[in-house]
Amino acid sequence: MTMAIDGAQFELELDFSGYSSTTTTATISTENDHDRGGNWNGWSPMVDWETLSGPHDDFQDLIDSMMDDGALMNQSIRLTPDTSNSMSASGTVIVDEETSCGDDLKGLRLVHLLIAAAEALTGLNKNRDLARVILVRLKELVSPNDGTNMERLAAYFTDALQGLLEGTGGIHSNKHHSETNNGPYHHHHRDDPQQRHHQSDVLGAFQLLQDMSPYVKFGHFTANQAILEAVADDRRIHIVDYDIMEGIQWASLMQALVSRKGGRPTPHLRITALSRSGSSRRFIGTVQETGRRLVAFAASIGLPFSFHQCRLDSDETFRPSALKLVRGEALVMNCMLHLPHFSYRAPDSVASFLSGAKTLNPRLLTMVEEEVGPIGDGGFVGRFMDSLHHYSAFYDSLEAGFPMQGRARGLVERVILGPRISWSLARIYRVRGEEACPWGVWLAAEGFQPVKVSFANHCQAKLLLGVFNDGYRVEELASNRLVLGWKSRRLLSASIWTSPSDPDL
Amino acid sequence: MFHTKKPSTMNSHDRPMCVQGDSGLVLTTDPKPRLRWTVELHERFVDAVAQLGGPDKATPKTIMRVMGVKGLTLYHLKSHLQKFRLGKQPHKDFNDHSIKDGSALDLQRSSASSSGMMSRSMNEMQMEVQRRLHEQLEVQRHLQLRTEAQGKYIQSLLEKACQTLAGDQNLASVSYKGMGNQGISDMGGMKEFGTLNFPAFQDLNIYGGDQLDLQHNMDRPSLDGFMPNSDNICLGKKRPSPYGGSGKSPLIWSDDLRLQDLGSGPACLEPHDDPFKGDQIQMAPPSLDRGTDLDSMSDMYEIKPSHQGDALDEKKFEASAKLKRPSPRRAERMSPMINTGGMPQGRNSPFG
Repeated sequence: MTMAIDGAQFELELDFSGYSSTTTTATISTENDHDRGGNWNGWSPMVDWETLSGPHDDFQDLIDSMMDDGALMNQSIRLTPDTSNSMSASGTVIVDEETSCGDDLKGLRLVHLLIAAAEALTGLNKNRDLARVILVRLKELVSPNDGTNMERLAAYFTDALQGLLEGTGGIHSNKHHSETNNGPYHHHHRDDPQQRHHQSDVLGAFQLLQDMSPYVKFGHFTANQAILEAVADDRRIHIVDYDIMEGIQWASLMQALVSRKGGRPTPHLRITALSRSGSSRRFIGTVQETGRRLVAFAASIGLPFSFHQCRLDSDETFRPSALKLVRGEALVMNCMLHLPHFSYRAPDSVASFLSGAKTLNPRLLTMVEEEVGPIGDGGFVGRFMDSLHHYSAFYDSLEAGFPMQGRARGLVERVILGPRISWSLARIYRVRGEEACPWGVWLAAEGFQPVKVSFANHCQAKLLLGVFNDGYRVEELASNRLVLGWKSRRLLSASIWTSPSDPDL
Repeated sequence: MFHTKKPSTMNSHDRPMCVQGDSGLVLTTDPKPRLRWTVELHERFVDAVAQLGGPDKATPKTIMRVMGVKGLTLYHLKSHLQKFRLGKQPHKDFNDHSIKDGSALDLQRSSASSSGMMSRSMNEMQMEVQRRLHEQLEVQRHLQLRTEAQGKYIQSLLEKACQTLAGDQNLASVSYKGMGNQGISDMGGMKEFGTLNFPAFQDLNIYGGDQLDLQHNMDRPSLDGFMPNSDNICLGKKRPSPYGGSGKSPLIWSDDLRLQDLGSGPACLEPHDDPFKGDQIQMAPPSLDRGTDLDSMSDMYEIKPSHQGDALDEKKFEASAKLKRPSPRRAERMSPMINTGGMPQGRNSPFG
């Protein structure tokens, strides 16, 4: 692409971390990095609410007006006084420009529609019929398998909104837990059995995600490094893992434990994995299988190890008393949420884990969660847009590294990101009106003490990123918190804490 | 001029007495004459390299000519240049607090010890910098080991899944055609992704994955996954080494790629028309030791560049402690303590 095109695109792009692969961080009008949560009002698309004064049977006109390319073009161009200059300057590349402009326009259109749908669903002028119509139109335009990043992303968001509309996005009642919490197994919007994720798909998608992006490793390795440092001199270590999944995080920790320098003897490691009662079908197997695997692995590297399982209550509440503790062991609580893991966890359950942790006075508590944008007063739509921005960054990061592997990315999107989008939106929808704060903030409020991220840990994270596309970056946002981001968008936060009352001090 | 120096305590090896030669070179008196890269000499070296257009363009011969220092041999220059080049590998974030060249350490050491007038804080600062440098190297090493460990674990995961699946399906031979009929669109994704070096994974797809129920049929599953000769039909995992074969990153990248080039992922993955043309790694495929009969499958899994990668990677890994690519691709290249022939396998099946 020539510079001229870049220039033109620069103006036309919304700052959704760019759904093309240019590296611009174009901002439009008032929206910028600091503002992205709160200023969505400026973006309220071209829905003229006044015309909805009376009952409307057919919103087609309305939709069409939104779809009007002319209107869009005008609006876009209005924002970019220089567009005409840059376009005319490069006569020979007009064709390319049009295509990419076309893509961008379509992307814009989709975004507008999505926002309109979100607004229709929950805004001041709630109108479910309108929302339904918009979603239908959206579905015609997008497909989860083809098209640009934005188009595929829009497809998943459309699905998610559809779910909310129909009320099947309900992760509300406990009754649904067993179904919805099957995670990738049961995309509850679809009854089509073809949409059930096969285990091979799940495993493959996870592996792909691991290889194509640093998200998983970042979370695991940062937590592990902090753990290693915290238990450097201990003979017995006990880790309580909230969501062990396949236990992948612990392989590298085990290896690090057996290669501890300084003449320290290899410690004994004990891992207790919390498991959900009821449906035990997980990723590729059960927690017990994970345990067996870990045991074998530990044996293979000569690490003294034992594995335990602790069941959560039926409502997934964690009861500290159910844990078996041993005197003299260093206790570590490990909590991986969202990506790098991706099963749905009810907030109450997480809260119970963390509160329970507090009573146990752990040496360390590691928390990895997704990083959300500033929570303005944008309500559902604001957070919807933030979510759009968030996942758009994910998509972009994958594409930037692997532009040719569209189908592989499609798999990751379908199996991992798609469901996450649905859960994410469902959660936002449910708690709209309330402030849902990140767990890091919650921990601080509960009195957990931050533990400084070491130089080595930060160094490791940077090194890790160095292997991937250089759009990734890691920031130290607080003394105890590293945040992985893609371009201008922060995505994943790893923080380390220790128990509020530290008797050693 | 730098005269004989006391051996610095920072040295990792014993420094014998140094003598100053006629040309101003400081040579040691031990049997293998070592050249002391003093500050001045190093500066001349750097100048020469710069003149010649950078460490990549400069060759020991030309440097020698440009420097014009008597007594300097190609041997000296070769190793120094190599260190210099390695040190120049951009770890972009490290620029501010790392001194990348090994000879720079000498530089510090010599300047620190030679000038008694150095203020204490300068010394401390330099030591701090050195400490950081060492720490970074440590981190690199650890990261590599840890990534490998993780990769190895994942590999066992996949193999296990494959095995169990194979056991369930009770299939001894697999029909290649079957894969085509599966209509699992994601298989296409895998194919497209190039040699997804999870033969197990590809097998899973072949079987449609709808009977995957790994809960049963776990007869000593934990150890089986580690057995190199486990008779599974997972392909590609034919290397005798316990964790050998696959589990590598499906990303095939040429070993020539430097770290910075990895940022431009597309560049290296572009020639990807034929998804099975896995020879992205520019090395001749070694004769691979396939234990099983893979006739029908061979064309599907024709590439195991992973194996090739092993051979080369091992060398590179030994050669430089720098992190090249801590991806799961290195999974099979186990750290020596893990990969020695006899794994300390708990034959007494420890099920916690």
